[in-house]
Order: sequence, then structure tokens, then C-alpha cells
Amino acid sequence: MLSNIDQKTWDGFFKLLQLGRFLLPIVALLIVWELAVRGGWIAANVFPSPSMIFSRAVELIFSTGPEQGMLFAHIGASLYRAVAAFILSVLIAIPLGFLLGLVPAVYRWVSPVLSVMLPMPAVAWTPILLVAFGQGDKTIITVCFLGAFFPVLYSTIQGVRSVSKQSVWVVQSMGGSRRHILLNVLLPACLSALISGLKLGMAHSWRTLVAAEMLAAMSAGLGYMIFAARAYMDVSTMFVGIALLALIGMAIEYGIFGVLESRTIRKWHGTSKIGGKK
Amino acid sequence: MSGVAIAKTASDDGRSVFDRFFVPLISLGVPLLIWEFLARSGAINDFLFPPPSAIFASIWSKSGLQFETGVLYSHVYSSMYRLLAGLALATVLGTLIGILIGMTQWGRFLFKPLLSLFMPVPTLAWTPILLLLMGVDNKTTIFIVFIAASFEIILNVIAGIENMNVKVFWVARSMGASRLQIFFKVIIPGILPYLITGVKLGSGYAWRALIAAEMLAASSFGLGFMIYEASEFMDMTTIYAGLIMIAALGFFIENILMGALEERTVGKWGVQVER
Repeated sequence: MLSNIDQKTWDGFFKLLQLGRFLLPIVALLIVWELAVRGGWIAANVFPSPSMIFSRAVELIFSTGPEQGMLFAHIGASLYRAVAAFILSVLIAIPLGFLLGLVPAVYRWVSPVLSVMLPMPAVAWTPILLVAFGQGDKTIITVCFLGAFFPVLYSTIQGVRSVSKQSVWVVQSMGGSRRHILLNVLLPACLSALISGLKLGMAHSWRTLVAAEMLAAMSAGLGYMIFAARAYMDVSTMFVGIALLALIGMAIEYGIFGVLESRTIRKWHGTSKIGGKK
Repeated sequence: MSGVAIAKTASDDGRSVFDRFFVPLISLGVPLLIWEFLARSGAINDFLFPPPSAIFASIWSKSGLQFETGVLYSHVYSSMYRLLAGLALATVLGTLIGILIGMTQWGRFLFKPLLSLFMPVPTLAWTPILLLLMGVDNKTTIFIVFIAASFEIILNVIAGIENMNVKVFWVARSMGASRLQIFFKVIIPGILPYLITGVKLGSGYAWRALIAAEMLAASSFGLGFMIYEASEFMDMTTIYAGLIMIAALGFFIENILMGALEERTVGKWGVQVER
């Protein structure tokens, strides 16, 4: 029999082993890539090696020259735009989703418009916004807003519609007011749908941002950084930007929304999966 | 990326003719009429919001049905060509990788980490690098479509395999089926409903990514290119015409093209895998 502590160290060791197993193909890919560049099979100026990209990242982070702090300015600009668009879309989409989910007549008349708007790529609005607002934050935030709006709206509608009528009737017949029904029945019942909608909305906002920034940013933002680096054939910076986009996206998804999920849904509903298989 | 789910075939039979035709007609038509009226009367800026009649007239004149100046056809053709080429590539490679991950130890070991490495990268972030590697070419946009569609296909194929019954393999193997036979006669029909769902979801992502990629990387044709070029000339009518075409084609791909694909395969064969 293993003691408790032994079991823990054994678990930790096993997890480490799994992590190593997981990282092995990634490390192998990086090594092959590095060797291919060093060996001259791939032109380093078109496709730099991982070590060159890494040293470029270090340079960008710790530089003291004219580039000082530029990277963080890009990250800050991108985060500001994505989060502003996300908050805006949540503020509009969730009340609208409740309205559409609760009143069948409204849903019936609005859903054709939604089904036309839904397959529209958010980025496709950029040209109109470019003519209307010009380049800059306004255009980018509006495009990201449109990207985030529909996922949040749809999750809210589906969450509200999936609440069983019986539970509303029960509270109604016990004399619950409209406020009671909204706050104590509907909101907890569709919380998991709401949170998965928020998660999707933020992810869409972040993914739309890159394209919007490439098309419409004037001076800052990760998308702008990547697209501007293309003009100088500075591929290392482009890869640094791509890695940052992925890392920040993951940090938002797992760091913020993962914690939010475990704090609320797993605690209240006792399930570990959201929006997955039933 | 959204979760894996099999789309239910909606049973629209219960809805009346009124609901299916008149409600959409009115709910889409009335706002357009109000817009037309406001733009004509000068209540809203008719440069930023040209009246819908002008937009549809522009679609009509560009379509080439009236004069010999139809460029719209070339734009639509280029976009659809890129979409279908990328989608075909993603379907073939995505199915193979999905099956490798779902069925083999080494496939899971090799591809799963790489999948979770590349999945969080926003698809369009690859555009500038692809532009450097391949130039302003169809290849760049097709590759973007491929990236955008393949993850959804891979995930759905994996889910399809996980949901298959092992007994089906045992039966096939004990009857002496070769590996190739198992692949084509057991695995492919077994995962087909999931594969179709993956292609359907993937085509939605791909269409969005394609329009954006065409704005960034197309040389001469494509709907994305058309609207971006028009914005440089501040040609609002053309932009709106392009938007309407993009929305209509997006609707066509998602509901009619993919619906037909679903009906022809899953619906017709009635693929029912013992779960």
C-alpha cells in the first residue's frame, strides 16, 4: 500500500510523463524546422528558424532602442479593441436574446433577418465601415462587435428557449413576480448557455480582430504588427505576432472563461462539461 | 471553435406556408422598403446608405444578363472555386488525420499535440506569411480555406470514430475483411454523418475566412476583393451589392449546398451505425 503522499508524488510524476509525451511531437517539429533552416533546405529570410524567432521575441520584449515597449503597445491596443467590442456585444446581445427567446412572436418575425445576417462574415462589413469611419479603432471595434454579437445572441436565445415551461409555471403559480422568474428561474437555468455564449463571443471577437486590424489599423495592434512586418520581409516578427495571438487567445479562453465556468457551473450544476455532448 | 454536434434535420413540415414564405418576405422586405423611402426622401445619407433599388440595379447590371459587362460572374466563380478547392483538400486530409487520431496510437501521439498547437491561432493571422511564401495567388486563399475548415472536420471525424461500435470492426475482421475494405466499407460509412456535419460547420468558417483572405490577398477576382476594391473608390453601391452576394452565397452554401449533400448521403442511404 502506498501512503497518501507517495500516491501524490506518483500522480505528479505520471502527469509530468504525460506532459512530456504531449510536448514531444511539438519539440520534434521545432527541431526538424530548426535543422532544416540551418541545413539550408529552407531559405532563412523567408522562413526563419525557431531560434531566430525566439531571439526576435526577446529583442522585442527587452529592447531599449526606438522599439522599446512597442510590443506591449501592440498587445494593449489589440486587447482594448477586442474587449471593448466583446463588452458592447454582450450588453446588446443578452437582453435582445432574452427578448427573442421569451416572446415567440418577436422571434418569428426577426428570425428571417437573423438567418440572413448570421452567415455574413463580420469582416465583410469592413469596406462599408472604412468608407463611413475611416481607418482606426471605431471601424475595428465595430467589426469585432459584429463578430462577437451573433454567437452571444444565439447562445442566449437557445438557453432561454430550452428552459422548461413547467419550472416557470411552478414559480408563477406560487405567486412569483416577473423579477423572481427572471432572476431565480431563467437566469440560473440558462447560465451554462450564457457562459458558453460569452466564451464563444470573446473567441470570435479575438479571431475577427486580426483581420480587422490588418485591414483597418493605423498604427498599433498585433494584426497591424504582423501585416506591417510583411512590408519589411520581417518574418520573425510575423511569427512572434502569430504566437502571441494564439497565446493570448488561449489565456483568455482557459484563464478567464475556464475559471468562470468552474466557479459557477461546475459548482452549481455538478457537471464538468459546457456546451459539449449531453 | 464550437463543440461537436450532429445537426438535427429540422422538420419544417409542421410550419404553414404563411410562416415559411410570407413571414421572411415581410420581415426582410419591410425594412428594405423603409430604407428605400428614407434614402429617396433624403432623411438618411444616400451616399452611405444608397437605396436598395440602386443596389439591386447594380447587381443586375454587373451580372451581365443585360449587357456584356458582367464581372460579377467572375467574382462569384473565383470565390466559389477557392472555397470548394480548399474544402475538398480539407475534407480529404482532415478525414485522414481524424481517422489516424481516432484509430491509431501513433496518430494520436503525433497529431493531437500539433492540433492543439495550431488550433488557437486565428486563421487569418497566417495570411501575411502565406503571402510571402506563395505570393498573391489562388494558392494563398485556398490554403486559408483549408486551414479554416480542417479543424472542424478533424474534430468531427474523431467524434464519429469514438462513437462507433467496436463490434462492427470485429465482425468485419472476423469475416476476413482487408484493411482497405475496413476503411472504405466500415469506417467511412460509419463516420459519414459526423464527417458531413464537420464539412458543413467547416464550410461556414471557411466562407468567413475566405472573404477576409480575399480582401487581404486576392489579386483580381473574388467577392472579398470586389468589396475591398470598391471601398478604395468609395463605391458604396458596389460594396452593398457585394455584401448581398456574400450573404446570399453564404446562405446558399450552408442551407442548399450542404443540405443537398446531407440529403444525398446520410438521408438517402439512411446510414445507421449500430452504436
